[in-house]
Amino acid sequence: MSLPCGIRNYSYNTDMAIIRTRTQWVLFILFLLFLYTMPLYLPRFGLDVMNLMGITIVSIVGLNILVGYCGQLSIGHAGFMAVGAYTTAILGSSLGLPFLVCLILSGFSAGLVGLLFGMPSLRVKGFYLAITTIAAQFIIIWIINHWTDVTHGSMGISVAPAGIGPYQFDSEASQFYLIMSVAGLSILFATNLARSRIGRAFIAVRDNDLAAEVMGINVFSYKLLAFFLGCFFAGIAGSLFAQWRGNITSEDFTFGQSILYIGILIIGGLGTAIGPILGVVFIRLLEQFVMFLSPMIERIFSGLPSGFATGLSPLVFGLAMIVFLVFEPRGLAHRWQLFKASYRMWPFSY
Amino acid sequence: MRRSKVTLCLAVLLVAALAMSVLPSCNPATPPAGEKVIKLGLSVPFTGAAAEKGAPIGQGQLDAFKYINDELGGVEGYKIEPVWYDTAYDSAKATTIVKKLMDDGCAFFTVVSSKDMNASKEAANRAAFPGMVCFSSPSLTHPPMHIYAQLPDYGDDWAAFARYYLQNIWKGEGKPKMALMLLNNSTGYGVRDAARAAADELGIEIVAVEEHTATTISETDALTRIKDKSPDVIFISSTPAPTAVILKNAYDLKMTPGTTVGCAHASFTKALIDLAGKDVTQGIYGVYPTVNWGDNVPGMAKMMEYCDTRHPEYAGNNDYLIGWASSLINAETLRQAIKVSGGDSLMKGDAAAWALAEKNGFMNVKNYDVEGLHGPVDFSNPVDKRGSKSVKIFQVQDGKMVSQTGWVDAPNILYENFDWFGK
Repeated sequence: MSLPCGIRNYSYNTDMAIIRTRTQWVLFILFLLFLYTMPLYLPRFGLDVMNLMGITIVSIVGLNILVGYCGQLSIGHAGFMAVGAYTTAILGSSLGLPFLVCLILSGFSAGLVGLLFGMPSLRVKGFYLAITTIAAQFIIIWIINHWTDVTHGSMGISVAPAGIGPYQFDSEASQFYLIMSVAGLSILFATNLARSRIGRAFIAVRDNDLAAEVMGINVFSYKLLAFFLGCFFAGIAGSLFAQWRGNITSEDFTFGQSILYIGILIIGGLGTAIGPILGVVFIRLLEQFVMFLSPMIERIFSGLPSGFATGLSPLVFGLAMIVFLVFEPRGLAHRWQLFKASYRMWPFSY
Repeated sequence: MRRSKVTLCLAVLLVAALAMSVLPSCNPATPPAGEKVIKLGLSVPFTGAAAEKGAPIGQGQLDAFKYINDELGGVEGYKIEPVWYDTAYDSAKATTIVKKLMDDGCAFFTVVSSKDMNASKEAANRAAFPGMVCFSSPSLTHPPMHIYAQLPDYGDDWAAFARYYLQNIWKGEGKPKMALMLLNNSTGYGVRDAARAAADELGIEIVAVEEHTATTISETDALTRIKDKSPDVIFISSTPAPTAVILKNAYDLKMTPGTTVGCAHASFTKALIDLAGKDVTQGIYGVYPTVNWGDNVPGMAKMMEYCDTRHPEYAGNNDYLIGWASSLINAETLRQAIKVSGGDSLMKGDAAAWALAEKNGFMNVKNYDVEGLHGPVDFSNPVDKRGSKSVKIFQVQDGKMVSQTGWVDAPNILYENFDWFGK
C-alpha cells in the first residue's frame, strides 16, 4: 500500500485501513457532502443520470470481481441483471414482499443462476468460457420471453417504487439516496474482498490457475464463488434498475448492454477498486455528451448534409473510446494512480 | 508532458459532459427572442439498431415543425420549438431523456419506437407528463393512462387482418387454421398476444407459433413444421429482411402460392418486394396504417416538397410520412389546448401545463384527418388511447402494393381483462 511522503503506519489496523490519513478523511467527508447534497441542486434529469450511474457501478463492481480479479470472462452480465430485475418485479408485484427482501433475494437468485453458468469454467476458460456466458445471456432472455405466465413476456412487468416501512423511494432524489448507498456498500465490500484471502485466491487463479492449484487453492470452488459474487451484484443492480425504471421487459437487458459493461470495465481498469467507478462515470458522461452534441451541431451548422449531425454521436463515442484505449490502455484507474503519485511528490515530481 | 496532456483532455471532456448534462436545452430551431414559443419534446432513435426507421421518422417530424413554423406561422400565434434527443434505441437512455424533456419545459412529448416508449412510460405516467408514440405495442396503452398512440399497434394489425380474412378470403367450413411467424421482440410478441386474446372470439384456430431473429438466413425448418399442420393462412410480423427470407423459403417449399399470407406493417414495405422479388411476393397481403407515398390526399404535396428539398434520400419512404403526420397531430393537439387554456400557460411546461395539454389538448382531438395521410385520429375515448384505429389492407400485384380496402378499423382488445397481461 503506497502512502504519502512522510507517513508511516504504526499498527496493523492503520495499515489495513482504507482511509489512512487526515487529508484522506477530510477529502472523503467533503466528497460525501458533495454527493449527498446533489439532490439539492441537480435537476431531475441530472439526478436520473446519477441514479443510472449508481446502478451501473453496482453491476460493474460485480463484473470486476468476476473478470478483473478472478479472470473469468463473462459476456452475459446483462442477462444476470435481468434475473435480479425479474426477481424483484415478480416477488414485489405478485407476492408483495418488501423491497429489502426482494433486493437480497434478487442478488441470491442471480448468483445461483451465475453458479449454474459458471460450471463450465471447470473445463474451459478464456474465449471458450465467454461463449458459455453469451449462451447464458440468450437463454435467460429466451426464458423470460416464453415463461409468460410469470414474466408476462413482451408486456413486461410494472414495479412499484422501493419502500422501507412506510417510506417510499418514489422520487428521483429519494432513489438517489437509496442507489448511492447501495453502490457505496458494494464498493466497500468489493474493496475489502480484494484484500482478503478470497481476493488473493481470485488473483492467483486469474494470473495462473495451474500455479494456484499447486499452491493449494481449490480453483473450481473459487471460480464458482467468483461467478456467484459477480452475479450477486448483477442481481442487486437489476433489482435497483427495476425499481428505478418502474417497469421492465426483456428488451432492457440486451447483449449490447453486456458488451458495453465489459467495455466500461476495460476503460475503468480491470482488477482495481476504483476502476469500475471511473469507467462508469466516464462512459455515462460521454453518452450524455454525445446526446447533446447532435442537436447542438445541427443548430450551429445548419448547412450540413442530411443526417450528418444525427449520425455524429456514435462516431464521436466510438472515436473517444479508441483514442482513450490508444493513449491509456491500462484504464482510467492507472491514470488515477499516476495523478495521485504526482500529487504526493508535488512539487518535487522527480 | 504527454501524460499531463492526456489528463487535461480527459478532465476537459468530463467537465464538458457534466456541464452539458445540467445545462438547459441546447436544441436547434430556437426561435428569436420575443417570439412566443411552446416546447415539444421528441425522443428519436436517430442512431442505433432502429435507425433505419427512426432517422426518416425523426427528420419527417422536424421538417413538419419547420413547415408549421415557417409557412403556417406556428399554431394559434405560438411557434413550436422541437426539443429532440437521440435515444440510440437504448432503453436506459430513453428513460433519462424523458426526464430531460420534463426539465426542459416541454408541454408534452413524442417517442418514435415502442421500445423507447416502454422505457419512458412509467416516468411519464407517474409525473402525468402526456406523450404520444408513433409505433406502439399493446402494453403502452393498456391500461390507459397518459400515453397516446399515433397508429394502431402490432396486435391491431393482426386483428384487422384476421377480420378481413374471415370476411373476404376464407371460404371453408369451421375455423380457419392460422400459423404465426413472429420476430422475437415486441413486433412479433404484440401479434402473439393479440392472437392469444382474440383468436377464439374471432373464430380462428392458431395451429403454430414460430419465432425468428432479425438476422435469420433460413426459416425452412419452421416452415416445414408449419406445413405439416396444413394452415389456411400464415401471418408474419417482422421486419422486411426476415420476412423476405420467410417468403422465399415458403415459395421454395411450394406453400405459396396456395396458402394465404398476411404481413403486419413492420414487414410490409417496398423493401420487402425489393428483397424477395415480384414472383415470390405476388398475391401476398399486407397491413399498413398510412396511405401510399404519392397518393392523392391533401397533405401529400407539401410533405413531398419538403422531403425532396431537405431529405431527398427518404423520398418514397413511408416512415418519413409517419414522422410528418406525427408532427401534424402534435400541432393539432397544441391547437386544441391553446384554444381552451391559452398558450401562455402551456409555455411554462410545468406539471400544470402538462395537465392542460392532456385535458384540453389530447382529449379534444376528435376525428382529426391528418390531411389524409393516415386514418383519422381521435384521442377523446378515455379507454382507448390509440389515435388512429385504422389500417388499410394491401395486396402485392405485379410488384406493387395495391390497396384492397378503405380504412379498416382494428377492434380495441381489452388486454387488461386477461390475467396473463402485464400488470
